[in-house]
Amino acid sequence: MNTIKTTEPMITPSKPMETAWVHEALEPDQLSTAKPQYGRRALNQRTRFLLWAMRVYLVLMVWIIVLEIQNAIKTRF
Amino acid sequence: MNYTPIKLEDAATDVTIEDVKRARDRLLVQSHRAGKRRWALLWLLIGPGILVMLGENDGPSMISYAATGARYGIGFFLPFIALTFAMAFVIQEMTVRLGAVTKRGHAELIYERFGPFWGLFSMSDLVIGNMLTLVTEFIAIRAGLGFFGAPPALAVLAAFLVIVGVVSSQRYWTWERIVLGFAIFNLIFVPVAILAHPVSSEVVRSFFTWGPLPGGIGGGFLLLVMSNIGATVTPWMLFFQQSAVVDKGLTTADIRHGRFDTALGATLAAVAAIATLLATTPLFVHHVNPSSFQGADFAKALVPYVGNVGATLFALGLFEAGFVAALTISLSSAYAFGEVTGRPHSMNNSLREGWPFYAFLIVATSIAATLVLIPNAPLVFITLIVNVIAVLAMPPALVFLILLVNDREIMGEHANGGLSNFFSIAVTVFLILAGIIFGIATVFPHLFPS
Repeated sequence: MNTIKTTEPMITPSKPMETAWVHEALEPDQLSTAKPQYGRRALNQRTRFLLWAMRVYLVLMVWIIVLEIQNAIKTRF
Repeated sequence: MNYTPIKLEDAATDVTIEDVKRARDRLLVQSHRAGKRRWALLWLLIGPGILVMLGENDGPSMISYAATGARYGIGFFLPFIALTFAMAFVIQEMTVRLGAVTKRGHAELIYERFGPFWGLFSMSDLVIGNMLTLVTEFIAIRAGLGFFGAPPALAVLAAFLVIVGVVSSQRYWTWERIVLGFAIFNLIFVPVAILAHPVSSEVVRSFFTWGPLPGGIGGGFLLLVMSNIGATVTPWMLFFQQSAVVDKGLTTADIRHGRFDTALGATLAAVAAIATLLATTPLFVHHVNPSSFQGADFAKALVPYVGNVGATLFALGLFEAGFVAALTISLSSAYAFGEVTGRPHSMNNSLREGWPFYAFLIVATSIAATLVLIPNAPLVFITLIVNVIAVLAMPPALVFLILLVNDREIMGEHANGGLSNFFSIAVTVFLILAGIIFGIATVFPHLFPS
């Protein structure tokens, strides 16, 4: 009888033993259902300032884009 | 999370189909690493870096390089392009480390560490920008195939169907290898450059002297420089590479290979970009004005100088650039959507398991494809607004990248060191300033001399 050599196990999900190789092959946090939550980062004053600066920047960014759309509409019609 | 795990009797932990497929890939990597088969290991681990860099050489970028070659010829812009890709490497390398250490995509990490506001902002900003960018890629696809007489609807439909076909492989590895096969054709611009017969001594000299620069340093030149810098690293690249590194299953043991993959991608992309510039230098030499050129006009204009073969290759290259970018950009949107909404977000998911992910990808791509075919659609406006959104969206993306890669709680020993921070912050500040100035100049052109 011919045998086929393979570098990976055959997947037969009905057999419980088959999960072992998946756990061995992957690091624990690579399992899609078992990722630990990092949680929110504690922000120091410098980072808080940076995030507020980004909020201000966002308002400017939206304003620039709206202005650009207005200009385009004016040019078109 | 909305995963539907395969329930196995007596199993310690639930294992999904996604895990099984990734585990198969990891077993191969582990067996090659144990067997010290270096080249085979490298072959298994390369992918995200090459794809992100060649993906960034998209339709609009190649037209921009072609326009630069036709306007400035051999000189300043050759070493300048190489420099921009070196900057891209500095930025993208950080996403490899982030993905390999945290096993999370960029949007997911922002959401988790900085809260829903920034997470949702990052996702929606990326998705809108990507949607408009996809439109420009389909414009390139239409233009490239239009050179061969393909009707626009047929060209766009064929590209769309191939994208859907590749995605339906439901396996990251298969998707990656197919797209790599397409992406390598970005180098099709190299034979066109050879057919243009550039003077090799001038090419070499330009890298040492950063010149000549016809017309000198004026307002128009500075704007072109800034637009090139600002467009070197675009937000989708950060999101795509980090998510792809996670989907591929890279771990901290693979960071060295991930770095090499990114460097190789940057080198290949720089070669293709420089080749595109060299290919159009005959237009500069013969004083052909490219200012009104669109789509495949470059290919047609090059016929007298590179022949029909060269022009055909150029048009094919334009198609390829748009096509590969459409494949990678659409995936980066779907990754971000899944990461922020907590839905399955892997190319290893089955269609049933990951239907929101696949549906999002296909719907976004089909909207972009349809927009291109609508008569009198404002395509020029879309192309313009894409640039503005991309450069204006970069600062938050880069700031979060620097904050995350310096977050020792999650990065541990892989956080940026002093030297890495010096380079990455310098490049980031440079990119942000260039992007903002370019964004303002696009909206308020009268502020800058033409």
